[in-house]
Amino acid sequence: MPYYGSEETVKELRRSLSNPNVQADRLRYRNVVLKVIRFMSQGLDVSALFMEMVKASATVDIVQKKLVYLYMCTYAALKPNLALLAINTLRKDCTDPNPMVRGLALRSMCSLRMPGISEYIQQPVLNGLRDKASYVRRAAVLGCAKMQTFQGDTEVDGAVVNELYAMLRDLDPIVMVNCLRALEEILKHEGGVVINKPIAHHLLNRMKDLDHWGQSEVLAFLVRYKTRTEDEVFTILNLLDSFLKSGQPNVVMATTKLFLILSEDFPNVQMDILERVKGPLLAICTSEYHELCFLGLCHTREILRSLPGHFSGHYKKFFCTYSDPNYIKYQKMEILRDLVNDENVQQILEELQTYCTDVSVELAQMAILNIGRIARTYSERCVVILTGLLGLKQEHITSAVIQTFRDLVWLCPQCTVTVCQALPGCEENIQDSEGKQALIWLLGMHGEQVPNAPYVLEEFVDSLKMETSATVKLELLTAMVRLFLSRPAECQDMLGRLLYYVIEDELDMAVRDRGLLYYRLLQQGVEEVKRVVCGPRSDPSLDIISGQANETVNAWTKDFNTLIPIYGQEQWDRLTAQKGDSLEILQLSAVKSDETGTNPEQREEMVLDSGSVRLKTSAHLSAEQFEEHWTRLEAAKVVTLDWHKDPSPDAIQSAFQFVHIQSVAISRRGAQLWKAYLFARNETGSLFLIELLIAKDKGDIQVTIKQENSSEELLNNFTTVVKSIIQALDERLDLEYISVAAGEECSPN
Amino acid sequence: MIGGLFIYNHKGEVLISRVYRDDIGRNAVDAFRVNVIHARQQVRSPVTNIARTSFFHVKRSNIWLAAVTKQNVNAAMVFEFLYKMCDVMTSYFGKISEENIKNNFVLIYELLDEILDFGYPQNSETGALKTFITQQGIKSQTKEEQSQITSQVTGQIGWRREGIKYRRNELFLDVLESVNLLMSPQGQVLSAHVSGRVVMKSYLSGMPECKFGMNDKIVIEKQGKGTADESAKSGKQSIAIDDCTFHQCVRLSKFESERSISFIPPDGEYELMRYRTTKDIILPFRVIPLVREVGRTKLEVKVVIKSNFKPSLLAQKIEVKIKRMAGMKESQISAEIELLPTNDKKKWARPPISMNFEVPFAPSGLKVRYLKVFEPKLNYSDHDVIKWVRYIGRSGIYETRC
Repeated sequence: MPYYGSEETVKELRRSLSNPNVQADRLRYRNVVLKVIRFMSQGLDVSALFMEMVKASATVDIVQKKLVYLYMCTYAALKPNLALLAINTLRKDCTDPNPMVRGLALRSMCSLRMPGISEYIQQPVLNGLRDKASYVRRAAVLGCAKMQTFQGDTEVDGAVVNELYAMLRDLDPIVMVNCLRALEEILKHEGGVVINKPIAHHLLNRMKDLDHWGQSEVLAFLVRYKTRTEDEVFTILNLLDSFLKSGQPNVVMATTKLFLILSEDFPNVQMDILERVKGPLLAICTSEYHELCFLGLCHTREILRSLPGHFSGHYKKFFCTYSDPNYIKYQKMEILRDLVNDENVQQILEELQTYCTDVSVELAQMAILNIGRIARTYSERCVVILTGLLGLKQEHITSAVIQTFRDLVWLCPQCTVTVCQALPGCEENIQDSEGKQALIWLLGMHGEQVPNAPYVLEEFVDSLKMETSATVKLELLTAMVRLFLSRPAECQDMLGRLLYYVIEDELDMAVRDRGLLYYRLLQQGVEEVKRVVCGPRSDPSLDIISGQANETVNAWTKDFNTLIPIYGQEQWDRLTAQKGDSLEILQLSAVKSDETGTNPEQREEMVLDSGSVRLKTSAHLSAEQFEEHWTRLEAAKVVTLDWHKDPSPDAIQSAFQFVHIQSVAISRRGAQLWKAYLFARNETGSLFLIELLIAKDKGDIQVTIKQENSSEELLNNFTTVVKSIIQALDERLDLEYISVAAGEECSPN
Repeated sequence: MIGGLFIYNHKGEVLISRVYRDDIGRNAVDAFRVNVIHARQQVRSPVTNIARTSFFHVKRSNIWLAAVTKQNVNAAMVFEFLYKMCDVMTSYFGKISEENIKNNFVLIYELLDEILDFGYPQNSETGALKTFITQQGIKSQTKEEQSQITSQVTGQIGWRREGIKYRRNELFLDVLESVNLLMSPQGQVLSAHVSGRVVMKSYLSGMPECKFGMNDKIVIEKQGKGTADESAKSGKQSIAIDDCTFHQCVRLSKFESERSISFIPPDGEYELMRYRTTKDIILPFRVIPLVREVGRTKLEVKVVIKSNFKPSLLAQKIEVKIKRMAGMKESQISAEIELLPTNDKKKWARPPISMNFEVPFAPSGLKVRYLKVFEPKLNYSDHDVIKWVRYIGRSGIYETRC
């Protein structure tokens, strides 16, 4: 939140902080510090007060100390030099007789985010590991993990790792769990903490002492343990059995996951576990907290993937209550849909039917679509319900019902007659384009069974000028041609009008083309039209949506109790998708740029395109020359941009070549500190040097640009070009588009 | 692990922001505000992903709490952490409201600092936290106080410190239950369950050993003999508990072997156990709705409420403006609702009738049989302790459809 008049505020605060009268009065002093923190959490930049705040840390008042440490942790990265001043105070506090002060100082010191801090904190952390107070040891153990993140790539300190492994035997349960967490982070590149037999057995024995945070985390670590014998598996299952019925949802979930993975090779045992976890899981699903409920439901659906009837007996637990938020209702409805069997179908349908008239339009439509899904197995009952809903004459309900009918007729042709009887009259209540498309499709496909089909379509044809959706028009064209084949006498005139309008007046190219296609097809004779329009139907059983085979339990156990069941596999893949596809796009465009390269004339044009920067197409600079220029010149511009992925040298090289920026040297893929050096010359002979810097896991890219003949305007234009390329690379935009955009930006005239 | 924790008011202004890990930047704060708090449509999911960062949020009155992470975490843990955070805050300063948060923001920062380190949950027990949190600010401490912290910090029993003394040894037991019901218009119970908590407030000196007994079916059956007499006294003498969990002070091994609940209680207020039952629930009220649509613009609603418990008990805080209601009584309200004539032939969506109430008994049928206190070192016996037991049954989601 940008704050108006912030400079004034900071000045004011500085004055009070350095006022000796304030400093003498402990309470007043603390209140000023408090004010600083308050502004900080509101987003105002108070980093300018760092010096004064460091001074304020030298106090016996623990509250003030805590506040100042909080401040330092937030701003240390911005003021590394001043932060070093604070280190002395912190180191002194690490030897304070009060364990609370020691712990606090150690924890804060390790949280200062600045380069070069590790040499100062190493010793206090090591001392902390052997402190007699568990409170300090807890902080020290996590301090080791924090230290590793500062050092980044450097070697893992074997001594610390050994010490931490030894400390797994610490008497304090939190220290033990912290050790696991720290080891996991330190050994990230080697696959995390190793859980061998002695460690696993030790952890199993300590389970009872832990609080539930610790329990669920240890359970997650135990998943990694590879059991040797069948006996061992069953021993662990017996030992941890009580945790399956724990009242803490996170422990229940973690135990379930562990159990299912342990019994990977024993499907019978897995069934047994899933049977036993039913109760606790249902308890989570009916929890008073909506969020937990939601998680429970997501995981229930995961189980239903392999055991569709698993909760059928408990279907009533999934009835929605009025106060449930919609996201829970959606989940419940989908679960209900999956639970349907011969015994409960009546009740579930009645329940879903009540949701169809819900005030929330989306919820009502969702309920209707779910009834449609059930209709695939219990078509008769469902069609009766759906037809009844049409009687309500509500727009959103009618539209959803018609869409459901369309899908149903396709998958279960036996319902066609009943559906067609229900159609007349619906057209008055449909306004949205999805609903219209569905209705038009039905009328076209099964028009011979609906007496007034031509007249309904005629209305659509007559109001075509008002229609905005191109898809509706396309659907109408196809439907009209189909209906013409079955009822030529009534449709001929109408079809003629429609084609005339589409070909003469329509502005949308796709629609016009389709119109022309049908027109020419009709010229070929009716037989030909029939062959094309009423081609053999695809086999509905091949349809992916019509049914999925049940998956095995092992297919999802790995993802159980993670975010994947919540987001859904598809969305998760999209979220984590990186590199792969983006690389393809860029390589494609690289090929394109090569093609343009074969034609020198075209290349010249490209140069003119990139606007006022006018980079030369072929420039040469050897690595030595580059180095010489680089050391000689001052940095003209340093920019930091967002960057989220592993840089691929090929992609970057080709992307920059596309706008005639050549590369000199580029680091390998996956390097800890990734660098690239590039250069470009413009037509007037001005030279640009670029350095790209990506520190792993930092999420940004630092771009340094140096320029030989300094010209402000040229530099700015050049910078925008570079920026847009990097942004585009990061966002995986098509390169063609970028170069156009960059060209536009660069030519203000 | 949690990368950061933010607290917003209903306008989306940040009240508290605490970042634990480097991968969460300041822009995350704004991302959540723009995408969730200021979003036009209803919340789609309690977990939102914005720019590959997951935001977990809960709402308490009009305050938003959001935990942020970039890792693929155990979502149940994150939410439970947020609930715990709410509990802890409530136990420190009461209701979670904008004003309370603003007034106590130092305390909240202190709490956040103690409860999470590097994004990992540490000590979250309110009792134990009280030693670390210095709301009033401890200046230079006396030797005694210091040694106290040391023993707390190093001690085996994390939830109780040594050397507590009271002039009057007292304890209060509250059995708090919430009844959830979903009933069909025909009066069929679609689903019902009771989730209950036994909350204890203990003001006891020293390190007392406590033993708690209730009418758990398994225990009663084990004892065998007493059943005949006791069942004569009360109609339903034992209850079947579906699942229950205890505060970490309860020795679970003893519970598993003998079903006896023994523990050294923390000082002050804490939750001893939590349980759920689904069988034989006493439904305190029955709601019988009669709704008639008279023409297009008029509705006739008649709601009959029947109370179903001992005539001597009084239920309170009942919704529908009935202040008090004696047991085994019937009461009726009828109303005529004039609707605005609409040209739409909309069907009237009938929301269920929900009830709020408070009754002075446990709808699950749970009864406290005894709570014995032994303190071997200090000189007071079980008889000297003043004990209070109270039962409160509240309505959870208590809905009858019509």
